[in-house]
Amino acid sequence: MHIFNKYFLSFLIFIILFSSCKKDDPVYSINQIQANAYNANKTKLKSPSQFISILYANLFQKALSANELVEITRCIESVGDKELVHEVIISNFMSRNGVTLPSDSLMRADLEGFIEETYRRFYVRDITAAEREFFVNFFNANPDVSAEMVYTAFSLSNEYQFY
Amino acid sequence: MKRRKFIKNSILGSTAITMPFILPSGRLFASTGSAMADHVVFVAFAGGVRQQESVLQRYLYDSQDYPSEGNILYNLLDGAPPTEKIVYGTDGVVDGDTPIPSILNQSLESQGVLFKEMVSSHAGHYGGLNTLLTGNYQYTQGLKSKSQMPTIFEYVRRHLGVPASKVWYIGNGIGNSIPLLDYSIHPDYGSQYGANFLAPTITFGNDGFNHLKNAKVYHPEDELAPMYKMKYFLDNVWYSQGRSLPNIGNTEEEKFEIKEFFKEMFEKTQQGVIAHPPVNGGELDAIGYACEVLKRFKPTLSVIYLSSVDVCHSNFTSYLRNLHRADHGVGHLWDFIQNQIPEMSGKTAIILAPEQGRNLESNNIVDANGFKAYDHSDQNTRRVFGIMAGPGIPSSLPSIGNEQNPVGDLLNITPTIAEILGFKEQLPGLTATNQSLFDLI
Repeated sequence: MHIFNKYFLSFLIFIILFSSCKKDDPVYSINQIQANAYNANKTKLKSPSQFISILYANLFQKALSANELVEITRCIESVGDKELVHEVIISNFMSRNGVTLPSDSLMRADLEGFIEETYRRFYVRDITAAEREFFVNFFNANPDVSAEMVYTAFSLSNEYQFY
Repeated sequence: MKRRKFIKNSILGSTAITMPFILPSGRLFASTGSAMADHVVFVAFAGGVRQQESVLQRYLYDSQDYPSEGNILYNLLDGAPPTEKIVYGTDGVVDGDTPIPSILNQSLESQGVLFKEMVSSHAGHYGGLNTLLTGNYQYTQGLKSKSQMPTIFEYVRRHLGVPASKVWYIGNGIGNSIPLLDYSIHPDYGSQYGANFLAPTITFGNDGFNHLKNAKVYHPEDELAPMYKMKYFLDNVWYSQGRSLPNIGNTEEEKFEIKEFFKEMFEKTQQGVIAHPPVNGGELDAIGYACEVLKRFKPTLSVIYLSSVDVCHSNFTSYLRNLHRADHGVGHLWDFIQNQIPEMSGKTAIILAPEQGRNLESNNIVDANGFKAYDHSDQNTRRVFGIMAGPGIPSSLPSIGNEQNPVGDLLNITPTIAEILGFKEQLPGLTATNQSLFDLI
């Protein structure tokens, strides 16, 4: 009995010693933030057919037919200046019926909402504060800028070429 | 001075003026370092041409063992056309029986220099064209990859400070990785010195009409300027990730001009008034659009790639027709430059060379005329020719080279273009040889 008490006492001391010295996790009262840039995970260049099918889906909210995809890809390959031929193709799309564009009055009614939605639509990411500030200021300084012009600029941008 | 002595001195004097002399460098003509011409048009001719049916003017004799000889490239070469078994022309009473009339009064051979026997060490189209444009045999270069050595486009743009819209590369299609040769991946050169590539039969063909024709041409100040401003902001943000896209560097003004050109081409195509050769269709339409590019942009360098004679793999009759049509196209191009583009007339040099030859032995394919077809892989494929003509290029010399003693290599084309445009001495030593064709005369 005496031996049992001795072992029990040693076990109790051991438990108390190790459980009593636990250090608390620090709490700094700071919000969690994303350290990487929002676009940092886009590392692969879209192929011409990927670019066209994604662009078409973004503008028309439906899929491009296989025939048109082949034809437009050939058009892209037939011109060396890709930026130029993309611009021509985008403006052709803009001339077609069925482009899903917000009206300019709707855009102007909620500039922040419009640009946030545009970033999500084309870049599949949230807008940063700096980007929001630039665009809101830009729209206010340029009252004739239309949704079509904004969509065209996003479609032509380099980030849009990557995924 | 006695009469006899006067005549002797006069003869000696005039001989000294007119006779070329061998320079210490071994050259017949001095390299001045200044440009011989303001513009160079290089035609990568036809797409695998046998010496036998081209410069040797053997027509059906060697290939089909049929005793008919003659010259079917009479815009390029001196020589009488064949008189028997005519199949290379346009369709008359029977298919191909009507040869296309010559366009040039004087062949390019007689206007310049013919290198009758040159060497091509590449037996493939892309490799051969790569050699013509880079001055290097890149044997490890596969399809679907850009050249590792700088192209002549990049040399011209970098060393002459020429803008993108002054350097054009016009292909008859987009197959065989041809569009990839508009610039290289060489670290000292690259896309910023690239050419404006155009495959006009696609751009202005059915595909282009469906998807490019109705492009809005945005107002440069009211619409394009704010669009570009937004794009530049977006690109700057993106650039912080260290990634950018290859860009051949057309300025906004150049892009606007090219878009206007596209618009004009669609209109002219619809109206049927493109500057096509009299006989057109197929790759000859690429020649017509090339004429329009030259007329609008007056390029310092234009390269035009033709390849339809490659049908020789399976149809010898079509090969002969396409060879004859390519000759017609080149004749039209040269005539158009001289007579329709005053800014380029008399200031333009032209160079022609196939990217490779074709086999001596036929394959097993026989066409409707019973003619045997030819691939490109044996020793005969190494045999090619070259022609150059224009300001500063000698025109009274006999043809250079023969089968036993070839003179010139496709490697010499890049330095030749550089010499004509006056910057050969600035080439940075990245070509396999610094010798131009002028060094071999």
